[in-house]
Amino acid sequence: MTATADAPMAAAAAPPRTARGTTLDRAFEILCFSAATLLLTALAGLVVSLVIGGWPALSKFGFGFFISAEWDPVNEVYGAAGAVAGTVISAALALLFALPLAFGIAIFLVELCPPILRRTIGTAVELLAGIPSIVYGMWGLFVFAPWFAQHIQIPLMASAPPGSLMEKLVAGIPNGAGIFTASVILAIMILPFIAATLRELLNTIPATVRESAYGLGSTTFEVITKVSLPYIRTGAIGAVMLGLGRALGETMAVTFVIGNAHGFPTSLFAPGSTIASTIANEFTEATHELHIAALISLGLVLFVLTFAVLALARMLIGRQQTL
Amino acid sequence: MNAQLDNPPETAILEIAPETVKLAIKDLNFFYSGKQALFDINVSFAANGVTALIGPSGCGKSTLLRVLNRMYGLYPGQKATGQVLLDGEDVLSPRVNVAALRARIGMVFQKPTPFPMSIYDNVAYGVRLYETLSKADMAIRVEDSLRRAALWDEVKDKLQQSGLGLSGGQQQRLCVARGIAVKPEVLLLDEPASALDPISTARLEETIAELKADYTIVIVTHNMGQAARLSDHTGFMYLGKLIEFGETEQLFTNPVTSRARDYITGRFG
Repeated sequence: MTATADAPMAAAAAPPRTARGTTLDRAFEILCFSAATLLLTALAGLVVSLVIGGWPALSKFGFGFFISAEWDPVNEVYGAAGAVAGTVISAALALLFALPLAFGIAIFLVELCPPILRRTIGTAVELLAGIPSIVYGMWGLFVFAPWFAQHIQIPLMASAPPGSLMEKLVAGIPNGAGIFTASVILAIMILPFIAATLRELLNTIPATVRESAYGLGSTTFEVITKVSLPYIRTGAIGAVMLGLGRALGETMAVTFVIGNAHGFPTSLFAPGSTIASTIANEFTEATHELHIAALISLGLVLFVLTFAVLALARMLIGRQQTL
Repeated sequence: MNAQLDNPPETAILEIAPETVKLAIKDLNFFYSGKQALFDINVSFAANGVTALIGPSGCGKSTLLRVLNRMYGLYPGQKATGQVLLDGEDVLSPRVNVAALRARIGMVFQKPTPFPMSIYDNVAYGVRLYETLSKADMAIRVEDSLRRAALWDEVKDKLQQSGLGLSGGQQQRLCVARGIAVKPEVLLLDEPASALDPISTARLEETIAELKADYTIVIVTHNMGQAARLSDHTGFMYLGKLIEFGETEQLFTNPVTSRARDYITGRFG
């Protein structure tokens, strides 16, 4: 059959199908666009309401709200610095504890683990990620904190030379509740999350890339450090930052074990507070307008902090990709 | 001649002159978690020559290649029995340092596998594992390897850019450069041109032809023209057995076994 004979047939069949397809396509586009816009609107609304709700406190204390560590509901003086410091320190410490373990777990599971163990450990990691944070908090308060006070805090305090930096770092009431304990609990919470993500990333490396590295005479350690980890570094940065974001915002578990003292944390083992724990603790008791406003402002600070971490992650990822 | 046609042998394996042997495979059997994939392979490959392995998919060509540098050892459940002698030393012996062995036996895969690092570092990677070269010496080694892989002119101005940014054909030649930079004695090529366009394939073939002066090359290929063009010896495999091995010209023009004849004349495969 010739092309000219084919053409009319195609033309006759095409219009209804095309018209219907175009309308559907258009509707689909609008639907997706609305979904995305809705999210943006919600985000903008959240920021605006946080600013409006927190305005009385922000306008009264000005920039001092962010740099003062004094938080005194009785005298109506509010400063966020103590809670911000507690948040950042506990999250950073948690990341410090969790990262080496997470990399170790992920690398072991993907590169070294015998197949039989792989399922078991992999499932355990996923189970750990699924435990509600309040369970971690209770475990931290009733089991971990007393044990920690008895076996770590008290011996350390007793053995620290007087006047040394060590003594300052470990000072505090030996009840186990404090910044350090909160960091450990946070580390346990974000560990499975980061490990699971890293494992998925390592699994995406093509077998032949790994084999090529082995083929040049690399040892397992060289393959992992020089080829596998660089291969996933973009995703790994993202995973770590998401873990950090989780640690920054975690509320329940931290509230249980951090000790809930206002002000700047004075030592690693001293009780402190984070933004989330302060809000959770005080919202029900906040009756004055200024108190409520200060808590909402704290929420705004946490929002900005988390956003900054995510933005930093994006920046780092962007830079890696251009390499 | 007639007798041969009437009653062709099941297998026909040419024995090459002992003094030219680089790799000798003796009674090799191979198993994937209990399932046998190679059966009683006995053959020798000559030094400074190209040996091609041909045969239908799944016949064990790639498996044989992966035994030669013990790549199968990365996967539990894969097992080889018999001997693979590299200059008389048994590669399969548990006492062999596998990493050092693989530095002597390079491998290039079907798909390009550049590492996530610069073009320069891709080539220098393997060298740094076993040699400590001065900056100048390393630069010479990298340039030399890239030249021999026919890639130098295309990348000399962007050596610090990521190897992942090259085209598929360039990436594959980068992998060849990376493989020869460590100066292996044997180079294993597993269908190195199957993902390449005709021009890149031609370049790669030129590279292989030049390299054979210094290396023992074993190439697995589905492209019979390529095998005929490049190799000195050819082995035909079928269902995990080496059916026929001989000089390339003889095997392509006058195969002895009926299976090889059927495959080469296009009756199956």
